[in-house]
Amino acid sequence: MILSAIVFLPLICAIVITFWPNKHTVRPLALGLSLIEFLLSISLLWKYNPDSASLQLVEKYPWISQYGINYFLGLDGLSLWLVLLTTFLVPIIILGAWHSIDQKIKGFHAAMFVLQTAMLGTFLAIDAIFFYLFWELSLVPMYFMVGIWGGPRRIYATIKFFIYTMAGSVLMLVAIIYMMFLTQESFGHMSASLLDFYKLQIPFVGGQFFSVQTLLFFAFAIAFAIKVPVFPFHTWLPDAHVEAPTPGSVILAGVMLKMGTYGFLRWVIPVFPEATEYWAWLFMLVGTIGIVYGALVAMIQPDIKKLVAYSSVSHMGYVLIGLFSLNHFGITGGLYQMLNHGISTGALFLLVGMIYERTHSREISKYGGIAAVVPLFTIAFFIMTLSSIAVPLTNGFIGEFFILLGAFKADVFFGSVAVSGVVLGAVYMLWMFKRVFFGPKGELASDAKHPLLDLSLREMVVLAPLIVLVFWMGLFPNQFLNYSKKSIDHLIVNQSNYELTVLENPAEKVYAQAPATEVTK
Amino acid sequence: MNPIGINDILLITPFLALFLTSIIPITIKVLRGNAEQPAAATLIQGLGGLLATFVLMMIVSGAGKTAFMNTLVFDRTTTWMSLIALGSAAMAILMMYDNPATSGHQFSELIFLALNSTLGMLILISATDLLTVFIGLEIMSLALYMMIGMSHEQKLSKEAAFKYFILGSFASAIFLYGISFVFGSAGSTYLIDLVQKTPELVATNKLFIFGITMVILGFCFKVSIAPFHAWTPDVYQGAPTPHTAFMATAVKTVSFAAFLRILGARPLIGNENIFDFLQWLAVITMIVGNVAAILQNNFKRMLAYSSISNSGYILVGLITAGVSDNFQEISGTVMFYLFSYSAMTLGAFAIVNLIEKNENSSVMIDDLAGYAKKNPFLAFCLTLFLLSLAGIPPLIGFFGKFYLFTAAVGEGLIWLALWGVINSVISVYYYLRPVVVMYMKDGAHEAIEQPMNSSKSVVVITAFIVLVLGLISGPILQIFSGTF
Repeated sequence: MILSAIVFLPLICAIVITFWPNKHTVRPLALGLSLIEFLLSISLLWKYNPDSASLQLVEKYPWISQYGINYFLGLDGLSLWLVLLTTFLVPIIILGAWHSIDQKIKGFHAAMFVLQTAMLGTFLAIDAIFFYLFWELSLVPMYFMVGIWGGPRRIYATIKFFIYTMAGSVLMLVAIIYMMFLTQESFGHMSASLLDFYKLQIPFVGGQFFSVQTLLFFAFAIAFAIKVPVFPFHTWLPDAHVEAPTPGSVILAGVMLKMGTYGFLRWVIPVFPEATEYWAWLFMLVGTIGIVYGALVAMIQPDIKKLVAYSSVSHMGYVLIGLFSLNHFGITGGLYQMLNHGISTGALFLLVGMIYERTHSREISKYGGIAAVVPLFTIAFFIMTLSSIAVPLTNGFIGEFFILLGAFKADVFFGSVAVSGVVLGAVYMLWMFKRVFFGPKGELASDAKHPLLDLSLREMVVLAPLIVLVFWMGLFPNQFLNYSKKSIDHLIVNQSNYELTVLENPAEKVYAQAPATEVTK
Repeated sequence: MNPIGINDILLITPFLALFLTSIIPITIKVLRGNAEQPAAATLIQGLGGLLATFVLMMIVSGAGKTAFMNTLVFDRTTTWMSLIALGSAAMAILMMYDNPATSGHQFSELIFLALNSTLGMLILISATDLLTVFIGLEIMSLALYMMIGMSHEQKLSKEAAFKYFILGSFASAIFLYGISFVFGSAGSTYLIDLVQKTPELVATNKLFIFGITMVILGFCFKVSIAPFHAWTPDVYQGAPTPHTAFMATAVKTVSFAAFLRILGARPLIGNENIFDFLQWLAVITMIVGNVAAILQNNFKRMLAYSSISNSGYILVGLITAGVSDNFQEISGTVMFYLFSYSAMTLGAFAIVNLIEKNENSSVMIDDLAGYAKKNPFLAFCLTLFLLSLAGIPPLIGFFGKFYLFTAAVGEGLIWLALWGVINSVISVYYYLRPVVVMYMKDGAHEAIEQPMNSSKSVVVITAFIVLVLGLISGPILQIFSGTF
């Protein structure tokens, strides 16, 4: 029941908030509810058995039985941390948006909770149609969040975001339907379960684009690539980020982009092994282009938020090449980088939002010399900058290091080009940092009428857990990676015939020996 | 020949009940010396008649029950299609009670016509003889022409009624012309006979192909398949909103039901040309409807084009059923789509009905600015209907499309399913436009708050269907496809 509770508690929160009579207590209520949700999800760490690569805490009930569609939730090492990232970020976002969202407060928090349900459902659903339901549902609250509370060009941005993402995912829907018929052919009964999709042997002809597996592979991959976003499909992202309100940007960068990379990890790489292997170069290529292109474009942005948005394109390029290295280092790094990016970029968007609340400007040229005025803010921003450019001791280093290790192992050429992203990342982040915080005082720092105030207590509370995590994840990566290790090993070892079993009795942890369900080659 | 027996009369009791209730309000009006009884009483009589008809329909129908020498059949399709038609008619009548263009004087006559139009629909649904189909079609349409024409709105509705009448008659003529060719070449107009003869005839007999194509074209007019859709936007815009809702849901549902029965005679299996022709019509309809809807500023006109594009989706389902071996099962998915489509369309029109200020007002999309602030509940419901029409899960519209496209993929018509999903992406653009205007643009929405409770009840009922029934659509689909 725990997974259902985690997925649907936010939905209940959304309904409660919609009908909450007192407007002034909505914020504390939302914060409290999101903290309860976070504590509930923390309990997964005890319930989850890290020594098994199987699907755990499974809940499976028939839903639309004539099509073999189930209510099917399950957790394994690939989704565990993403679930926790989501539940961790939401209270931070709600606290961070305490003052910046000042109208239609109820609607905002309700949308946030619906979005949380959709994201958690996407990470936990193991049935294709159930997954698709959450996947599409996540568009709606985000659409409203950008469209109602966003900046001047919000309507253009939000419609672009919606249509772009939906265009990708409907092809995935057709692919899902087709695969459901494939399960009928292979197993005699129709099924939308991912576990049955894993068992399918989909015919693959190398070098021929119009073969079944390749087409299905691309139908899924394009849907996820748009969400990530991978290089040629990234144009919706800067628009959406710049126009979104701060909390919208944080949730978008922090969690929603990971829905795409998670999709690759869960729904593409294991389901279409031959096609993945054959086309891995393409994704390495677009990932590498994304890294370099994102970094170069970020460098020349006059707007801090847009700069951070393009840095997301670059960082997600890393995740992509990590995943498509198809080796242990790459995938571990990719998974870790998803979390890092959620924390560091999420925090950067929060910081940009905080300074924007004070000055109502995000233009780099108007800043300058504010380090002396807001020292605490500067320190926090600097830590997040370091995490973003992957300086050792911070979490970013671990992720990028593993990814590059994996990339070099897979392909030296892409590895060496990707390394340049590390330098370029340092260039655009530090250059921006220099222009904003150091140098002669800009017009905003010297404005006598509106003195810049340093971080308030609330803002410190918002940033403290993120800063702690940056170092915690940078110093003790194994505390996090141990939970995912078995699942990643299982994925690598059985890459060509991946199957996932259901752990029957998740309550009993087996510490002494590896469970029998595990297949080793 | 069997004489007409008591059994036949028993089977058509739903029809008789509907007709008898339809004359109650108008008789009372005559007895009172041409003075209207309270409109609420008329409304209750109308709703009661529809309810009684449905209850009787549930009682008399059953597998293989036929009346009047097999010209009327009371099978599962009849039952559930009549549920959709009667339900939509009930919702439309509730809206007529509120709308300034339809309420007031002559409400009794309007209810009389509406119930008789519904009677025509029931005949149309249950008919298995092409001539009976024609009679049902005409009873339904003639009442409708008058309903539109007697609106209190002075200009557009008269034009709409006339346009609808001319083009509707034209379509009927084509249909009848087709029937004569079918009869001439096959020697029968019974669909049951045709099922056996069609495969052979479509392969060899050119006259029969001509006839059956004309029959199909007649229906394409009725259900506004492009390029025979041109009347739809004008008529839908000009007619009073409740009538538009009635046409877009009940009339469309039953026309598709009869269309489905004709395709059940299997003209698509033997003849590649008719099959290809219909496929292209479906694709063109989807594209024309969706692309034209993007350009509209009038909300009702936009919904009219949305209804055209939905005809395209439904035609995909019809083609799938027409070529499939499990005709029954796939006609169940078509029925489910019609059910979901009717619910969301009725809801959307009910909200238009609530926004309209007087009989001459037209609702532009930009007028919706500020509606979310003024009336958050209705704005939320309209958002639900539009998102559902766009096919966003977990609303019922998604499940309707999902079943339809799943059936298409299952029959190997993947490219039709692809066109379908691509079109639903295009449709998102215009379905989101009212939402954008309502929530994201400031404006003082000027709608006067009227105590229009019956339209609001339509909104609540349809919103419930849209929100909840999608999630439990499995059993509903099983009931519709008869696998329960």
